[in-house]
Amino acid sequence: MLRALFETVEAFPSSVAIRESLNGYPILLTSHVIGMCVFAGLVMMMDFRLAGFGNRSTSITDVQSRLFPWQMVGLVISAISGLLLVYGQPMRFFPNFYFWTKNLLILLAGINIWYFHTKTYQTVEEWNTDPTPPFAARLAGIVSIVLWASIVMVGRMIAYPGLVPQWWLDLGLEG
Amino acid sequence: MEETGFSLLPFFVWMQESSFSQFMLDTTWSQPIVQLMHLVALSVFAGSVLIVDLRLLGVGVVKTPLAKVADEATPWMVWALVALLITGTPSLMSLAMKQYFSPFFWWKMQLLVLGLIFTFTIRRRLTQTDESKLGPVWPKVAGMFSISLWCGVAIGARLIGLFS
Repeated sequence: MLRALFETVEAFPSSVAIRESLNGYPILLTSHVIGMCVFAGLVMMMDFRLAGFGNRSTSITDVQSRLFPWQMVGLVISAISGLLLVYGQPMRFFPNFYFWTKNLLILLAGINIWYFHTKTYQTVEEWNTDPTPPFAARLAGIVSIVLWASIVMVGRMIAYPGLVPQWWLDLGLEG
Repeated sequence: MEETGFSLLPFFVWMQESSFSQFMLDTTWSQPIVQLMHLVALSVFAGSVLIVDLRLLGVGVVKTPLAKVADEATPWMVWALVALLITGTPSLMSLAMKQYFSPFFWWKMQLLVLGLIFTFTIRRRLTQTDESKLGPVWPKVAGMFSISLWCGVAIGARLIGLFS
């Protein structure tokens, strides 16, 4: 079913247009890297603060609220360029182990953000200016650093579709 | 470069033919691993540069004094830079001929040198100066210049791999 969706998208004229455009791929890939720098970079600056690794003179609510708009700028750039990259070559990504691993890790990062904001962050006023925040906040920061660094790395690995576990290749998704 | 009679080509040929480059090319995982670490270091570098640049532009963590923001970001920036150089060197060596003949490689390296000089002289100085003496214009100019320079480095870098 998922395969059918990817195959259908691949046949769209707009998908063909991106695929066959001379500059489409370089422009999208370069935008994706710039978006990554802004998003992953600033998310990690916030995570460093949460983990107690850096930016310790700035209050947590300040780091969070002042960097948030710029994190969103980075996210929008990387999300749009990323979606268009997949949209232009769906069947290149469909059988790719790292593509699906990356999506899974992004989902996990989303869950971490959701949990942190609905639970841990509720008491932020009590530890807002502590150079080293409480354990739950530090953990959320460290988990986020590990996840986003992994997402960056797994994303780069999409270019190596052959360097994957044998069981994945045995699924025969290449078709 | 050829016009002045000085050429880096022999140096690039030497890098390409070194046994280290051969090792990089012969081991399946060595190139991807180096690239992955390069990208993670890039993310940290970008974040630590941007948090100061946004502050210079007056849109970042404005309640914290500029010098404090810069002091706390600098170690991360320097260590990320060290990691970028350490991971960038094997990539450069194993693909030396490709790099030498890529205009984007020279674009990247020239902007990189400019970026480093700017960051460790003018920008460093600016972030250490009493903010009330800086006025509203120069910090913004420096912030924009820094962001543009590093974007230029990243764009050049990405394009090396796509056109050869």
